[in-house]
Amino acid sequence: MTTIRSALVAPELTPELRAALDGLLLSMADDEFVIGFSDSEWTGIAPMLEEDVAMSSLAQDELGHAQALYQLLAALRDDGHDADAIAYDRTPDEYRHARLLDHGRGDWAMTVARRYLYDTADSTRLEAVASSTFGPLRELVEKIRREERYHVMHATAWFERLAGREGEPRERLVAALEALGPDAATVFTPLDNEELLVEAGAIAEPMAAIEARWRAQLTPTFVAHGLPMPPTANLADGRTRHGEPFRWLWNEFTLVRRDDPVAAW
Amino acid sequence: MTDQLPADRGGTAESATSLEPWEVFRQEKEGDPMRHGGSVMAPDAVLAVHYAREMYSRRQESVRLWVVRRADIHDLDDPDLLQPPMDRSFKKPGGYVMREKLAAAREQSGRAKPKGKAK
Amino acid sequence: MTDPLALDPVLPARERSKLPFNDPALTSDARYRHFEEHVTGGGKVEATDWMPDEYRTQVLRFVEMHANSELMGVLPEREWIMRAPTLRRKLALTAKVQDEVGHAQLLYRVAEDLGKPREQMIQDLLDGKTKFHNVFHYPTFTWADIGVIAWLVDAAAIVAQQALRDSSYAPYARTMRKICWEESVHIMHGRDVVVTLVTGTAAQRAALQDALNRWWGPLMQMHGPRGDRTKDRDIHWRIKAKTSDELRQEFLSIYVPRIWELGLTLPDPELHQDEATGEWLFTEPDWQELRTVVTNHGPKSEERLAFRRMNWDRTQWVRDTILAAPRVEAAFA
Repeated sequence: MTTIRSALVAPELTPELRAALDGLLLSMADDEFVIGFSDSEWTGIAPMLEEDVAMSSLAQDELGHAQALYQLLAALRDDGHDADAIAYDRTPDEYRHARLLDHGRGDWAMTVARRYLYDTADSTRLEAVASSTFGPLRELVEKIRREERYHVMHATAWFERLAGREGEPRERLVAALEALGPDAATVFTPLDNEELLVEAGAIAEPMAAIEARWRAQLTPTFVAHGLPMPPTANLADGRTRHGEPFRWLWNEFTLVRRDDPVAAW
Repeated sequence: MTDQLPADRGGTAESATSLEPWEVFRQEKEGDPMRHGGSVMAPDAVLAVHYAREMYSRRQESVRLWVVRRADIHDLDDPDLLQPPMDRSFKKPGGYVMREKLAAAREQSGRAKPKGKAK
Repeated sequence: MTDPLALDPVLPARERSKLPFNDPALTSDARYRHFEEHVTGGGKVEATDWMPDEYRTQVLRFVEMHANSELMGVLPEREWIMRAPTLRRKLALTAKVQDEVGHAQLLYRVAEDLGKPREQMIQDLLDGKTKFHNVFHYPTFTWADIGVIAWLVDAAAIVAQQALRDSSYAPYARTMRKICWEESVHIMHGRDVVVTLVTGTAAQRAALQDALNRWWGPLMQMHGPRGDRTKDRDIHWRIKAKTSDELRQEFLSIYVPRIWELGLTLPDPELHQDEATGEWLFTEPDWQELRTVVTNHGPKSEERLAFRRMNWDRTQWVRDTILAAPRVEAAFA
């Protein structure tokens, strides 16, 4: 952790840039944290046992990524709060995950649609951080991208199966896309001072450009299946206005910890 | 890994048949033989490979998997074919016993038994 | 389509093997005798071997209940996956419960190859026609329950499972070896949770003691009432090797000292080890409670089955279309 800290406390890191980097890490970590929870809700009740095990692996991967990103953030902040404190000890309004992940678990089609939209968006975003000038983030993202390949493969396999099967599977997928589509682009909600991040090489492009790249990648699949592309979204509050399903989730995941925040668990 | 996966025709109707067992063989480390691990149920090859990964390497316990539709395995366990009853000792090292003949040969040549083991 | 590993009800088994009971020319009485001699002499049985109906049914019933228990055992812990208080605990618990689902898969595969389709087995479980272990009929109240379940319920289970690694039914024995290997980490996870609570705040310690008090009765009942070894058909067929009482003694001798070591108490004043014989003595477990609970009249039986039925119904469309599982009615006679 010392090497991470020294890299992040480099003298060229101005307070503004540090804050912007904080925002980037928090948004990525919160996204992985929240989708990891939704996926783990399928544990024990997925459509088939083999699929149940697969979904749990995805959940564990996402939470592992969230943990590593929170650890990076803890090193950046260097204020005595560890990854768990950042992950758990906030009010619901302080979380910065994309609203795409705020719809509750829903049925299997909702899960497939959410995973497909998020995994494709996330991998486009990771691409833009893959050659970050911030070494610790670049090194972490290199590992995360190797794991996310499987996520995209799994999500794509299910997306294509639902889209290609007339009747209930396709109808449910279309309904899920209608519910989630308007929030899909919230993954690309502009970050505060993101121009500083681009200038410093922390990310390759502004979020708007990453979103355009994602749309270009998505279009052929949606056209081929005759599915409605996610519309452009109002991104002003894409990571700040959270719905009821997240309040429920927050209540659950803080339940034990709220009992005694200073105890060791 | 993408390149190794079977072509995904999962979106088309003709590939969706029904669940069937797929046998999974795993290699624990480089150089090891492929050993039978167990089986998964899956409707097609792509999901069978996904599920094999989950059931037989989620603890990173394999470096390679083979996934085979059970119906594609040809089973042979006929003892007439595998354990034929007639003498096959000429095919096995133990079928050649020459200790006494060797001793006689040494006596004839007057040379000592060489040190070390050899065939 | 030939199915090389398929079973008696589906396909005739190996007819040309060296094992005499596979010889279809013999009378069924003779085959039964050869089979019994083979198994009681320590021989192994593969899925493709001929086997007497009694053996097939006995193994199937045993493995099916084991599979049901893994599947139902997911539910008490599942709700705490969402509530795990740190990232590492959340990861560990998710992985542990995932293993239980995985073990259900492995065991249902063994049972499926004996001729009963998985959908039918799950349907029978949901209809209350088949059973699952007593410990999964009880509620969980606090995070401490998760520690006690992961440490002691799993420990009691692993004692039983280790004794099954040499089962006469070879596919089951192989599966048990994989399961035991995977489960060894569960006990470590559980013990770590327990030790953390024991060394934590007074409230954490109290919650742990409370959980232990509640779980002790079900744990003592878990391996089942004392039985007559000579009348136990599972032992006769070497499906299992040890009696209920042997397993309970083994569990007590390993774990009671480890529980006491932590300064925890057990709610049985009679519990002690006889110094002369080494045998553990205890208050007779409540067998009436065990019978009530395993016949789905436990405190959480109906709620958990209803929860599973609801989710099974909600995902039926996926199985009907994408996974296209063979429907139950047609498959099993």
